[in-house]
Order: sequence, then structure tokens, then C-alpha cells
Amino acid sequence: MSASTPTRTTNVQQTALGPELHVRVGPVARALVRRSLVAITRVPSALVPILLMPVFFMIAFTGSYSAITNIPGFPTDNIFNWFVPYACVQGAAFAGIGTGFSTARDIETGFYDRLLLAPSSRASLILGPVGTSIVRSSFPFLTVLPLGLLLGADFPGVLGLLILAFTSATVSIMSGLWALGVVFRMQTQRSLGLVQVGIFATLFLSIGQVPLAVMRGWLHGAARVNPTTNLLRMARQGFLGGVTWELTWPGLVAAILVVSGLGLFAVSGFRKMEK
Amino acid sequence: MESPIEANGLRRSFGDIEAVCGVDLSVSQGEIYGFLGPNGAGKSTMVRMLTTLLKPSAGRARVAGFDVATEADEVRRRIGVALQDAAIDPLMTGNELLHLQATLHGLGRKEGKERGRELLDRVGLTDAGDRRVQTYSGGMRRRLDLAMSLLHQPAVLFLDEPTTGLDPSSRLNLWEEVRRLNTEGTTVFLTTQYLEEADELAHRVGIIDGGLIVREGTPAELKAAVGSPTLRIDVSPDQFGTANEVLGRFGEQRPAREGRLAIGLDKGASRLTDVVRALDEANVSVLHMELDAPSLDDVFAEATGRRLEGQAE
Repeated sequence: MSASTPTRTTNVQQTALGPELHVRVGPVARALVRRSLVAITRVPSALVPILLMPVFFMIAFTGSYSAITNIPGFPTDNIFNWFVPYACVQGAAFAGIGTGFSTARDIETGFYDRLLLAPSSRASLILGPVGTSIVRSSFPFLTVLPLGLLLGADFPGVLGLLILAFTSATVSIMSGLWALGVVFRMQTQRSLGLVQVGIFATLFLSIGQVPLAVMRGWLHGAARVNPTTNLLRMARQGFLGGVTWELTWPGLVAAILVVSGLGLFAVSGFRKMEK
Repeated sequence: MESPIEANGLRRSFGDIEAVCGVDLSVSQGEIYGFLGPNGAGKSTMVRMLTTLLKPSAGRARVAGFDVATEADEVRRRIGVALQDAAIDPLMTGNELLHLQATLHGLGRKEGKERGRELLDRVGLTDAGDRRVQTYSGGMRRRLDLAMSLLHQPAVLFLDEPTTGLDPSSRLNLWEEVRRLNTEGTTVFLTTQYLEEADELAHRVGIIDGGLIVREGTPAELKAAVGSPTLRIDVSPDQFGTANEVLGRFGEQRPAREGRLAIGLDKGASRLTDVVRALDEANVSVLHMELDAPSLDDVFAEATGRRLEGQAE
């Protein structure tokens, strides 16, 4: 049986709520962050790798590298002062991988189409996941830092603490943007291997483990130009002495440059995906 | 007044593969347009272009009065889309998803809540609103997906294979809802692999194959154009050739599954006795015989030379 011919007509413009709406970036980005928090509360086990990895690295590195404090000129005699900020930054970087994973899964399951079909600003579809990265990075930060302090790290002072928190948040933004850029281009969870390689390479080819002065050859060259080196110098200030502008501004410049560059990488990936 | 959906020479290529090869289409206000085709025919690519998810390689399309490529946001404000597979986050509850959808479409908290409540009630999910979607059945997910696509009161609704995988009862419920929406003035673009669905719901049907619309019209027009009813017989393999020769005298051969013969019976059912007599005279033992008035499946077979995947003959 065929349906009968339509008799009612309605003006397209009048039935839609849309024309009167101006969907703003903030509420949508916040809604996406809220969604990720809901997911975390529903599956808390998803947080375990984000929490365990930096804790594991902190314990492993402080154990295996404890002797490096004996190197003449090493900035501290307390190995925890060296590795606790590094572990916090690592945790923040891993938070970005989590954001990439969620986005890739949404793309694969088709949920991301729902976001793309909304008339909201495209910026919110990048700012939301980046906000999620920052929120996710707070979990390892709030785990590693108290544990590190408990194990023997010196309290970095309020300013030192704020600078570490700022650096962690910045690194989570960077890793989130990097992850989004890769995921938007490859549109599969398999892309996360590349995301991880990028993040691990950036962390390990820096002054994460040892100071620049004790590095030799290409490793020294790589760590010297790696912006993570400047970020780690900025993050460690409170633990290794006083906070100074000399160690802060290179970190800020690195943060601005890398966030801008990776922001462009994510945006161009998004545009590529939309084609 | 401009058609809610209009496409001219719409094309989309993926590398060397042309998924949609120049489609012209016009859907009238208040119409349910059934878009029919097998897997890989270009249905979903077409829907993705019309809903702004995919940019056309060439040609142009206007939906709700706006160009899908250059005025995508305006299009998005006016369309509702329930995509294949009802991709909804299983960890969230129905209410949470509706709230998210309301935010995505710029509805205020109060308005979003009210609309969400209304729609949950409408699709019969009020009691399940606070349950996680992972506990929903396939039919419930589809209904929630439909509710989400209606939240911002779209003028044009795209339903991409909305009943695939649903049990018959859930399918009927969804059909009922689509009819109700349509009588309220919503234009519906429905893609489906189910001929019965297109026949039941659509005012007009477009058949796509190989990226091109090969037939278009009302189901009645399309079926009438096929002409004679289809006679199908099953015979034992050793009598296949003889039976084929006998049937050939009564009409043109039509596509049929392996082991079965089908013809368009000239002059209709009145010739059935003659066919039976001729087969008997040729000593052909008929295992099964059926005479069908033309269906959309026949229309599809006539247009493409094959039957739709997954459809019983």
C-alpha cells in the first residue's frame, strides 16, 4: 500500500527553531567536557592508566636514577624534586592521549557525526576536547603531586605549585591538540599509536630524565631544541630553587609557540576531515 | 515556494571511485521521499552530502532553502538527522543525551528540558529516560535517536535506514511515528533497503544504483510502469531448460534467484491456465508456482537487472 499524497504544507523557515539561534562556543565546549566527566564517573577504570603510568614512572625513575644527584652541578640532592614535576607533566601528556582515544572512538562509532551535524561553532568541537584534556590532567596531577610530596619531594611554594599546575595544563592542551590533529586526519583508533610515539618521543628527548649538561651527541641537540625542555625547566623551578623570570619566559614562549602550532595542526586536520 | 530538498548534478568521488555520479533530485514540501537502493549504491553518501557531513565533489544541493556547501550552518539549523546505526553514547542516559543535543542546537536549559520531556513521552521512553543507553534495546535506541533528531523542531528530517535490524513490532512503531511527523508538516527523506518500508511510507520513491537515480515516481506509478505480473516457478534442475523454453512463449524473462525461473506474464493472470497447460504438455513437473503483482522489487529488478540484497523474492 502506498502512502497518500501529502496535503499539508508548512513553511520551512517557520517550523525550524534554528534561525533565531546563535549557538555559542562556551556552552557546547562545556557540555562536551561534562560528557567526558560523565564517562569517567561511569567507567572509573578508564582513569587507571592515566594515574598509574606517571606514578610508575616517578617511582621507577627515582629508584633507577637516584645516583644522578651525585653528578657535580646537579641542581638538587633530592631525586624526588627532579622527577615529581616530570611525572606531573607526563600525566598531563597522557591525558591528551585519552582525549584522542575518546575522539577516535566517537568518529568510529558515528557519534562524532552528531556533533558535526549541530549548528554550533566548529571551534567548540576542538575546545571541548582540549578542555577535557585539562580536566583529565588534573587527576594525575592530584595523585602524583601529593604522593611525591609524601615520598620526600620538597614543597615548591605556592608560586612554584601554580607554575607546575600551569605547565601541566599547558602540556595537556598540547598533547590534546596533537592527538586531535592526528585523529582527525586518520579517523581511527589505530592512529593512537602515532599519537603515543609523538608524545613519548617529545618527553624522552628532553631534560625529563637528566639535565642537558650530562647529555651527549644528538640527544643533547634534540633536547636543546625540544620545547619540552623549556617547559620542564619552568615546571621544576619551585622544586629546584626559587621561581625566576629567566626560567619562566622561555617556557611561556615555548608554550605559546607549540600551542599555536599544534592548534593549527588540529584545525587543519578538522578541515581535512570535513571535506 | 522552494523545495525543501533540491539537488542538481550532485557528485561525490572517493579517489577514483565515483559514489554518486550526478544526481538530480527534488523533494516537495510535506513529502516522504523514499530513497531506495542496495548497499553501496550511494544512498548514504547522498544523505551525508545533503546533511552537510560530506562536501559534494561537483554539482549543488539546497536543503531547507540553503546551499549545503556554502551555507552548511543554516542547513544544520533546519534539519534533523537520524543516521544509520543510531550512534549514541551507551554510557549516557537518555535524558543526558537529550540535554547534550539541546546544547548543541543552542536551546536554553529550560526549553531543552521541556522539549526533551515531551519527546521522550512521544517516543514512549519516559520511564527509561534516566537509564543508561547501554541497557536499551535496539528499538529503544532508534526511538531515542529519533527524539534527539527532533529536539530543535527541524523542518526536514533525514532518516538513514531507520529500521534496519529492528523487530517487526518496533519497525511498525517507528513507521507510525514517521507518519505522524509527516502529517504535522515535516518533510522526510528516508533511505531504506526495505521495499515494504518505502511502499508503506513514501509518497515518492527514488531508486539509486551505481550512484545514479535509475527510477523515480510514486510507488503506484513505478509498479504500473513495470507492467505485467511476475510468474515464478521452481522446477527440478534437469527440466530447467525445457521449462525456460516453455515460459519464454508467455513473456520476457525476469531476474530471479538461482534455480528459479521468472517471467513477466503477458496479459496477466488470464494466461496462467495456458502456462500450466503448456508446462504439462512439455512434461515439466512444477515444484512451486507463484504469481505476483508488480512490487517495488520488480521495479528495482527491471531498473537494475538484479534484486535488492536481503529481499525475499
